[in-house]
Amino acid sequence: MRIKGGYFKKHLHVDLSRGTAERRDLSDNFIERYIGGRGFGAKLVWDNLKKHGFKLDPLGPENLLVIAPGPLTGVYLPSSGKCSFISISPATGLYGDSSAGGGFGVELKQSGIDVLSVDGRASELSIIFIDNKETKILPMPELKGKSCLETEGIIFEKLGIHALAIATIGVAGENGVNFACVNTDWSRNAGRTGIGAIMGSKNLKAIVVRGREDIPVHDIAGQMEEADKAYKYMSEHKYFDLWQQEGLMNVIEYANEKGILPTFNFKDTVYAKHEQINGTVMLDQFKIGDSACFSCSMCCGNICLVKNGKYTGTVTEGPEYESCAMLGSNLGVDNFAAILAANKLCDELGIDTISAGNIVGAIIEGYEQGILSLEDLDGCEISWGDEDAIIELIKKIATRDGIGDILAGGSPRIIEEWPDMDKIILQVKGLEQSAYDSRAAMSMGLSYATSDIGAHHTRAWPIAKEMEEGQGWSDEELIDTVIYHQTLRPLFDMLGVCRLPWIELGLNERHYENFYKYVTGKEVTLEELLELSNDIYDLTRLINKHMGVSRKDDTLPYKVYARPALTGPNAGKVLDPDTFQDILSKYYERRGWDKNGLPPAKAESKFDD
Amino acid sequence: MTKKLTVIPDQCSGCRICELVCSIRHFRVNNPKKSAIRVMITYPQPVLRMPIVCSQCKEPPCGQVCPVDALHRNNGVVQLDEKLCISCYKCVEACPFGAMYAHDDCEYPIKCDMCEGDPECVKKCPKGAIRLIPEAALGESKRLANVLSYTQMKEIEYYEKGEKKVIHYAEIGKEKL
Repeated sequence: MRIKGGYFKKHLHVDLSRGTAERRDLSDNFIERYIGGRGFGAKLVWDNLKKHGFKLDPLGPENLLVIAPGPLTGVYLPSSGKCSFISISPATGLYGDSSAGGGFGVELKQSGIDVLSVDGRASELSIIFIDNKETKILPMPELKGKSCLETEGIIFEKLGIHALAIATIGVAGENGVNFACVNTDWSRNAGRTGIGAIMGSKNLKAIVVRGREDIPVHDIAGQMEEADKAYKYMSEHKYFDLWQQEGLMNVIEYANEKGILPTFNFKDTVYAKHEQINGTVMLDQFKIGDSACFSCSMCCGNICLVKNGKYTGTVTEGPEYESCAMLGSNLGVDNFAAILAANKLCDELGIDTISAGNIVGAIIEGYEQGILSLEDLDGCEISWGDEDAIIELIKKIATRDGIGDILAGGSPRIIEEWPDMDKIILQVKGLEQSAYDSRAAMSMGLSYATSDIGAHHTRAWPIAKEMEEGQGWSDEELIDTVIYHQTLRPLFDMLGVCRLPWIELGLNERHYENFYKYVTGKEVTLEELLELSNDIYDLTRLINKHMGVSRKDDTLPYKVYARPALTGPNAGKVLDPDTFQDILSKYYERRGWDKNGLPPAKAESKFDD
Repeated sequence: MTKKLTVIPDQCSGCRICELVCSIRHFRVNNPKKSAIRVMITYPQPVLRMPIVCSQCKEPPCGQVCPVDALHRNNGVVQLDEKLCISCYKCVEACPFGAMYAHDDCEYPIKCDMCEGDPECVKKCPKGAIRLIPEAALGESKRLANVLSYTQMKEIEYYEKGEKKVIHYAEIGKEKL
């Protein structure tokens, strides 16, 4: 036995069609190879795809949903509350994953499993209740149409227990909105790639967990010492207090200063009224408490309350940077209270704020340019900063009312309906772009184009590094930075920890080889872990290849090449398409993929076992 | 001088590091469900994050209901004598704060023992939300905050060595009633 801790070596498989739940053993080989989190997810999704001859409907019962914490989840070390949700995305039709913080993954792991997979479709709206080692599927049709918060409350009441962790979907998930999210711990979302719609398609309203098992750790003394060192380093960092106070909201000022803040659907990248939506405003007028994920000293979450005006009484966790930028500056909303209200609405309906902000922004711009008519908008005018119309439109998306029925299909459906919107909306492979502009940073463009889930920053976020030290970068340095990010950042998602201590406070990634060693009892180097993470990048690329992806899909939104930002430090800048193609070729070469961006045929056999 | 373990809910972020380090110290396991301190989180109404831990009462209700007299207060700490304890869990039910805990694996109720006067949760809380303060100082911070909120504070600007400064003072008793 090589793996002595970090895992229960159990896989819980729930088949909703048959109404069965089965605990299967996980072998040391599987564990060592795929580590956990997104690694386990990619492998199980791959196996399921093969079983179905690489043809499946993301919203069909045959699509497998995998939920996996990692070996470090729940252990005393910085920010160990992460859990990945993995499947074939309805937004892109490709590999999709998203991770959530909070404490859901810890509770799931404490029920004695390392991974949960859900297959099939329940005959009526149901929940999965994992009460430590016992799993039940309980029909709860009364949850239909309930918001995420209401659902949590009703479940607490029905089961008569408060100490539960719940992952739930809102109305958007029930209605198959392609960017519906999964809401855990009230407001920690697995936001991207439409995982909520997959739960909805399975008639699965919520996954409810109560676990109480010891998380196995091989060397507790070693783990404690290493963790204490890491926590101490973080607490002494010059920005630690800022993170505790403002959390991700401090990024608004940074992004505005650097000229990468999405503004008016990325028409611009600085926002004249940034001071009305930044961290200072939040601290002065709205913040009433901190909110941390499990075992995290940075507590980047903020709980805000609107104390006056028409949104009085709105309480929400957030906004964090992405939500604030996408629902704020990107829509020209300068009223922080309205951003909070929209953020809260998205949490209640179970909608991803990044996609929602992109889509609403594109609709406003499309209407402004005459691509959409007033009739298309069901007769409801919408313009920049029009809070009421924006909130109404978000509701219509979740309920698929009027134009909302088209918008719920995400970018691909919108472009199908109005082809000219292809030039307006920012998306890659069907997933809308995160809140960092890439026109002034080739590395960010390359990251979006080559991310396995679409235009999201989770795989690589090299933009700050490029802005700060990338002026003289060679192509190789740029590509290596992107690939290093695409290897290290997913490793955090495999280990079940958050990347912020590393990316934001510079916590040395070497700590993680030690954490892994102390927790599992297996000696590894960071390089070996990175190699395993890199294999998963190949694996998700292979999944995508079988779903039809190749070089032609590693593209960037039209605006990135053709519509520069109007003002600010990056005014006038766009990425040159030829240079991009050149860099893309070199990137493939560096990864060992062919000119068409595909891993060699022999790579597939690596994942047979 | 008796020191009290005090929690400041406003400071708590809900990270539950206190739970983890407590379970590691007392049971040598990573298991928040085996800790003598638990963070209660309610949301959205009210928004509350509050660690619940034994107050080491001078007349402990847990001790009063114990049928075998296994709970006694020594040196400011209510201690559970495991030799006497029959694991009936009456104490867990009797605690008015719900600050004693049970776990299937554990033979006895789980209760804060103050870590021999140097609590792990106090040392490891990243927000300073759990503190060890002298009993006589309890309530001091509240008194100060209260005084500042209900007295009429005035401010005067003045210059010292060419630098502008502001001084706050209270006009106590002069406000119109």
